[in-house]
Amino acid sequence: MEKEYYVCTGCGLLCDDIELEMEKDLIGKVHTACRVGVAHMKESPGEAEYLVDGKKVDEKTAIEEAASVLKAARNPLIFGLGTSTNEAQKKAIELAEKLNATLDDTSSFCLGPLIEAILQEKFKTCTLDDVRNKADISFFWGSDPADSHPRHLSKFSYFPRGQEKQRGWEEERTAIAVDIRKSHTAKICGNEFYQVPPGGDAEFIEALIAGLSGKLPKTSFKFPPKKLLELANILKGARFGVIFVGLGLIYSLENLEPLIKLMDTLNEKAKGDFYLIPMVGHYNMRGFNETLFEKTGFVNSVKFEEGSVKHGPGYSVVESLKAKTVDAALIIGSDPLASLPHSIAKQLLEIPLITIDPCETLSSRKAKVSIRSGVSGVEAGGSATRMDGVQVPFRPAIDAKRPSDEEILSKLMEAL
Amino acid sequence: MDFGSFLAAPELKVKIVTYRDIFQNKAMIEDRFGEDYRTRSAIIKLDPADLKSLSVKKGDTVILKNSFGKVVVKAEESGYEPPHRGIAYMPNSPWSNMLVSNETGGTGVPKFKDIEATASSAKGEKVTDFEF
Repeated sequence: MEKEYYVCTGCGLLCDDIELEMEKDLIGKVHTACRVGVAHMKESPGEAEYLVDGKKVDEKTAIEEAASVLKAARNPLIFGLGTSTNEAQKKAIELAEKLNATLDDTSSFCLGPLIEAILQEKFKTCTLDDVRNKADISFFWGSDPADSHPRHLSKFSYFPRGQEKQRGWEEERTAIAVDIRKSHTAKICGNEFYQVPPGGDAEFIEALIAGLSGKLPKTSFKFPPKKLLELANILKGARFGVIFVGLGLIYSLENLEPLIKLMDTLNEKAKGDFYLIPMVGHYNMRGFNETLFEKTGFVNSVKFEEGSVKHGPGYSVVESLKAKTVDAALIIGSDPLASLPHSIAKQLLEIPLITIDPCETLSSRKAKVSIRSGVSGVEAGGSATRMDGVQVPFRPAIDAKRPSDEEILSKLMEAL
Repeated sequence: MDFGSFLAAPELKVKIVTYRDIFQNKAMIEDRFGEDYRTRSAIIKLDPADLKSLSVKKGDTVILKNSFGKVVVKAEESGYEPPHRGIAYMPNSPWSNMLVSNETGGTGVPKFKDIEATASSAKGEKVTDFEF
């Protein structure tokens, strides 16, 4: 009998080789997935739940109440969507247009600028399948996939025997880490771990570019020039090199210029080509960025206004809350009261919230209207965009008792 | 009565860098209001010399505060080499977010990995619970 495989929506890797053992109508055992993936796939599906002011109501009442909050708002914020399907994201964008809303996702305070630069073709990029089959250098910069994307190294970037890399990590692949601390990934990289002080990445890039160009690499934090030259030589020898960029690097740089310059230098000096892949955390943040980019030319932080689109940091979730420009919020699959600085998120306590989420969260506990949705890939099907831009379709593993984000957003749209 | 409780606890300025942790992430998925998530989130990893200067042992609670908030978490030894006095590490969580500055320079990007705070012994005070 042919095996059935499922997709794990636990992180931006969207592993598509998950095997499940069902017990009655629920997921009993999860094979192949990582520690996070198993927990994610086994998240208790539960019954549909609709709350208004903390009291249980029926679906119709919750949708009507949510619609009335949104109708009454002058400038509602729609936020989240990193754990929604491409289809649900499209619905949310339609809804934002209809409501003349401010629309943003978590990428405005994480990897958004990098995704935008990739979509604008400022970086060469490749797929994770290319990495598995061809890469001889996997360079983790400010990223720690051993913790954030647990199967990254085993499925794609270091341990697998790819089509052109049959001798694998033992002989044919080198893993390199630049970080401010010896992360679990840095430990795996062994001697190829390069520790920089907090905020030292731009200077390290500059020194590395000097080293790649045959100059003496100097840093104010006195990184040993010999070690930097050794790194430059390893990189020069690469035939297929990939830099996996994480938040550690992005938060350390004022802008992407040093990284663009480094990639250009690597592609000029190395034997082969260098590519960049963003280490996207939420399973479909990139999908939201791509869909919005296609529609508006921007990846996040937009405000719809009678057919036109405004864009800029002023329309990001953080600045909108700080400036108190939004007067209601529809939060889908995100928990800003937990994930944003409290000094900023506390403004959410001053405006009516509507949450759509599979879990009870700090935000849902404070919501005027809270709706529990089904977990994508477990209770709901659809498609998503992997961290490398590859489209991944998936189907539900169990019969859902809870509606998907897409269904809830469709009903909300009808009610409006 | 413990006479030491009347003495001012030594304070230490720390720069806190946040990070992701697979075990904490799994605990969050299983129950974000559960004990396991709190235990794995409400911690700060310090250099052993900094623990000593605060007169706290690993497992003791410390108060972290700045102008944006205050939080009580457990102190741990980082285990990182080389020494990193004055630099501490916390898993990204509502506990670290209590201390993140609201100053963004209009960029929309808070300094999640660059938190300045003061640490001192919490003298047995319990880890902060969240309910806004």
